Amino acid sequence: MENILKFDNVNFYYQTKTDEIFALKDVCFDIEKEHFVSIVGPSGCGKTTILSLTAGLLKPTSGKILLDGYEQIDRKKIGYMFQKDFLFEWRTVWKNIKLGLEIQKPKNMEEKLALAEELLKKYDLYAFKDQKPRSLSGGMRQRVALIRTLALEPKLLLLDEPFSALDYQTRLSVCDDVYQIIKSEKKTAMLVTHDISEALSMSDKIIILSSRPATVKDTLVPSLVGKTSFKKREDERFNGLFEYIWRQLKNEEKTS
Amino acid sequence: MKKKQVNFTKAHKEYVKRLKRNKFLIIFFRIFILVAFIGLWELFAQTKVIDPFFVSCPSRIVSQIITLAKNGTLLTHSWITLYETLIGFAIATVAGYIIAVLLWWNEKVRKIFEPYIVVLNSLPKIALGPVIILWVGAGTNAIVAMCVLICIVITVMSMLSAFLSVEEGKILLLRSMNASKFQIFTKLILPHAMPDFVSVLKINVGMSWVGSIMGEYLTSKAGLGYLIVYGGQIFKIDLVMAATTILCLLAFVMYALVSLLEKRVKSKC
Repeated sequence: MENILKFDNVNFYYQTKTDEIFALKDVCFDIEKEHFVSIVGPSGCGKTTILSLTAGLLKPTSGKILLDGYEQIDRKKIGYMFQKDFLFEWRTVWKNIKLGLEIQKPKNMEEKLALAEELLKKYDLYAFKDQKPRSLSGGMRQRVALIRTLALEPKLLLLDEPFSALDYQTRLSVCDDVYQIIKSEKKTAMLVTHDISEALSMSDKIIILSSRPATVKDTLVPSLVGKTSFKKREDERFNGLFEYIWRQLKNEEKTS
Repeated sequence: MKKKQVNFTKAHKEYVKRLKRNKFLIIFFRIFILVAFIGLWELFAQTKVIDPFFVSCPSRIVSQIITLAKNGTLLTHSWITLYETLIGFAIATVAGYIIAVLLWWNEKVRKIFEPYIVVLNSLPKIALGPVIILWVGAGTNAIVAMCVLICIVITVMSMLSAFLSVEEGKILLLRSMNASKFQIFTKLILPHAMPDFVSVLKINVGMSWVGSIMGEYLTSKAGLGYLIVYGGQIFKIDLVMAATTILCLLAFVMYALVSLLEKRVKSKC
């Protein structure tokens, strides 16, 4: 399978006036096309840094990042979904979804608009198309944010704990929705999370990071059976894997 | 759109009734205070409880305004002050906005100019009066300059802080979409700062009148500020009060226009 993303011995330091923080140490991993990869690690270890580097918002101190085979990061290949939905209050749902398209002005604008409209219909948001985001629930807002990201047809989706701001009930169902959407649109995605069960129920591969400076400690291929993320939680191996990851993270927190 | 409910409960009827009554009371007392104030003023002046030579009275103000209107000077003076105010208001708002954008655009430039802006803000602008007259000449130029000076610093400061109050994550979102700095400004900063812009306009309405009247106190041959100073010098309080009344009306109209604009902006976002 083709690799969409490759981290090759990536090191990263954060610079401040009085200090230098060693965030990533010799990080190596790759993501195959149409795979869903989760990154888990103790809090504050540098998970978000990996996403920022991938999106080209930060430059590695040393090492190589290859996005779709190129070292020069083309942001148009990336769709970044943040913890917060960051919908613009003064724009309607539809105009929020169009935001990325307005900025990138792709040649096939008509097609992309049609796709966005189709996504809205598919995920039950079409009726709210002309409403302002404030009249939407948290889960709906997060779905709008996802469609805004998908409308650009990125090769790689970056998800930075996109469900963490939601209450538990909504979180489970939005998590399931997003999983369905990503799988049925055949997208490649990298999810950063500290929710182990979320990682397990969604991922083809889980990368476990050590505490700071973060390095890849273990890689796991859960291969749980189930069509939806809900069903995957019912797989008998789920609990065993959960415990395994949990211990790994626990050990990390002890040593740090 | 939300569906409108047709059958309301009795409680809703009472609620609406209460709202209406409150609104009525507010408007009633607004008018009542004005009428009572004018009425008592007139009454006390007529009965010589207060001396109209020093405090004037509504009837004398009205007849003064009528006299001014008849000999045509009312319109001339009002127009001159209005003109100075509007020009000053426009220049200060536009220039202040542009300066704020430039300061937002470049962090280094912003940091370099920060102390200058702070000093300019705390400086009483009237102190610069003589310098202004020397530099741009007495008369309209100096008055407009004074007006601009008074409004521009507050415009720059308010707009800049509005620009900088955007959530960092939203900028990050646009950057991750490959937006240019110009796009970040037009798609995010500008609409985000729109409500603040309207409140700056509201502040500037008041400040620009302060500027033009202060300018006219300094140097003028005509205008409402001139009438006020002139009236004071010849002990004609009726004239001072008449000019002040016109000033109140004009400022009110200008403020009402900006409020109208505010409503339109609010309905948009």
